[in-house]
Amino acid sequence: MSHEVMGYNAAMGLGLVEEMRRNDSIFIMGQGVVTGGWFGMEKGLVAEFGTDRVLDCGIAEAFEAGLAAGAAIAGMKPVINMGFGDFALIAGDEIYHKLAKWRYMHGLDVPMTAVIIFPIGAMGGAGPEHSSCTEVLGMHFPGLKVVVPSTAADAKGLMKAALREPNPVLFHSVQGLGWTRSDVPLDPDFVVPIGKAATRRAGQDLTILTYGSMVPRALEAAERLAGEGIDAEIVDLRTLVPLDWDHALESVTRTHRAMVVHEAFRTAGPGAEIAAQIQERAFFDLEAPVLRLGAKDFPLCQIAELEQAAIPSVDAIAAEARRLAAI
Amino acid sequence: MPAPESALLEQMFHRMAVSRAIERLMLRHTREERFSGWWHPGEGQEAAPIGATAALRHDDYVWYQGRGCAWAIGKGMDPLPILGDLLGKMNGATRGKGGGVPHWADYSLGIMGEGATLGSVYPLAAGSALASKIRKDGRVSIADFGDGTASRGTFHETMMHAVAWKLPLIYFCENNGLLVGTRTEQVSASADIANLAKGYGIPGVVVDGQDAIAVYEATSEAAARARAGEGPTLIEAKVTRKHGHYAGDPQHYRDPDYLKDYRDPVDILAARLSGNAAARIIEQADAEVAAAYEAAKAAPEADVSVIERDLYHVA
Repeated sequence: MSHEVMGYNAAMGLGLVEEMRRNDSIFIMGQGVVTGGWFGMEKGLVAEFGTDRVLDCGIAEAFEAGLAAGAAIAGMKPVINMGFGDFALIAGDEIYHKLAKWRYMHGLDVPMTAVIIFPIGAMGGAGPEHSSCTEVLGMHFPGLKVVVPSTAADAKGLMKAALREPNPVLFHSVQGLGWTRSDVPLDPDFVVPIGKAATRRAGQDLTILTYGSMVPRALEAAERLAGEGIDAEIVDLRTLVPLDWDHALESVTRTHRAMVVHEAFRTAGPGAEIAAQIQERAFFDLEAPVLRLGAKDFPLCQIAELEQAAIPSVDAIAAEARRLAAI
Repeated sequence: MPAPESALLEQMFHRMAVSRAIERLMLRHTREERFSGWWHPGEGQEAAPIGATAALRHDDYVWYQGRGCAWAIGKGMDPLPILGDLLGKMNGATRGKGGGVPHWADYSLGIMGEGATLGSVYPLAAGSALASKIRKDGRVSIADFGDGTASRGTFHETMMHAVAWKLPLIYFCENNGLLVGTRTEQVSASADIANLAKGYGIPGVVVDGQDAIAVYEATSEAAARARAGEGPTLIEAKVTRKHGHYAGDPQHYRDPDYLKDYRDPVDILAARLSGNAAARIIEQADAEVAAAYEAAKAAPEADVSVIERDLYHVA
């Protein structure tokens, strides 16, 4: 089956369209999805699926997420484009209680498919309430699956997996990667399984565990480090819940040095949990403490240069990797 | 709207009598058995759920609030899974997840469950209503709530969309005049929650919530309207909360003679039955609930396997 070079958002949209063709229980709702969507990914949906399955709603995130929970409980497969990951907090009860806990507290072992799309991270001056990386919330509250694709192929394949998953999925699309282009398989059965990490670059000296927007930066940093004789392995976690510990630990126990890099805030970010577990599980295989790089613990500024200065750069990743290699 | 036929009347009365027997049992149980759960008594409010559920189809969706047990009983659940759940037993509806706050669900009966963050079921009910609209399955969804949670933001968010999309949804308010201990008029410009319907351009119906037949008739009309594609109705049943917010509540906020005009829903519905039917049905219901209570007490306690169950479904 053939491949095509396409954008990250377009690939995510293609994954959605292919699954909507396969399963007429899937519908999508958000602001502006009928008219083409803020991010272009819903373009053409209404022409093919009609306004029963492609719905525009008001600015009402708690309603959107709650509706997704209710529709999923009733056997539909809702997809909600939340517009921005920040809005998870407006719909906290509906996401972290209703979607996550409804089956658990009612004692029901039944399928429940729902996909909440959270565009996350810096996108060039969107400001402190439109740039948050909220994926750690899905790690903290049990009952949800959490994915963060870093490539166009993964954006498509993980969207398809999420729509075949019998559990609610928080699908974090990376705003900073939305228009990046890469090779995407066109096979309608191409799926990226939830819970599987991918090694993006093999290396022997240290492991950089990362995901989302930091994957291309870590790869660029690794190329610089290679010129200095430091051979970094880059593991793209892709899914944070369930996290692919086997893959992460296999790499770390081989390189003996690890660091976690993400765009989310450093304090109590995903890296805190990941670093803690690596130290608990692989302490005697480590030559150095597990380091963490994340955004400064301040709200993101609107000035694009200041925004970028607050999140890990290629330089910062390379510098931290040098420090790790030298310990 | 026609009154219910005698077979349906007897079924309604039976379900009300079962609910009442469970209410009485739970009050005694919490007093005498050092019950650790949080029981929110629904005695006196049974007519609203019994009347509403009698007007629904078997496959209609009910999302209920957490006072009493009459929504689940009214929709066809047996007493045993309810009592088993309240006692924290493995044979309860939640198979060991229960203990006082009701999370009884049986999707095959259209009993969709309860949100313990009060007033949280509005958008969920819109979700099942939208599912019905997309599937064209003719089902109606009920979002049941107390007057206290009419102040929730999702009340408005959901109603805005449900009206615009003509969703087959009924907002069903049980107004007992008290938000725990706060009176409705302290937080609402209108004593009638049904007045809010005016702003949305939908019917807002106030009904005597102590009279199951009146509730049945109002709900039948709302369900017919929903099934005809005409959208939501807001029903407000004026009910009496006979006991405290929770079992054991000292109720310092109450007027001491608040029950002087009390009209019991069991008596009101009993008067509609012929002959000695009411006494016969009450006796039968009491025996069923007593047997279910014994079976619940004899059932295994919830064990630690419950903690790690039902978080994720494996296909």
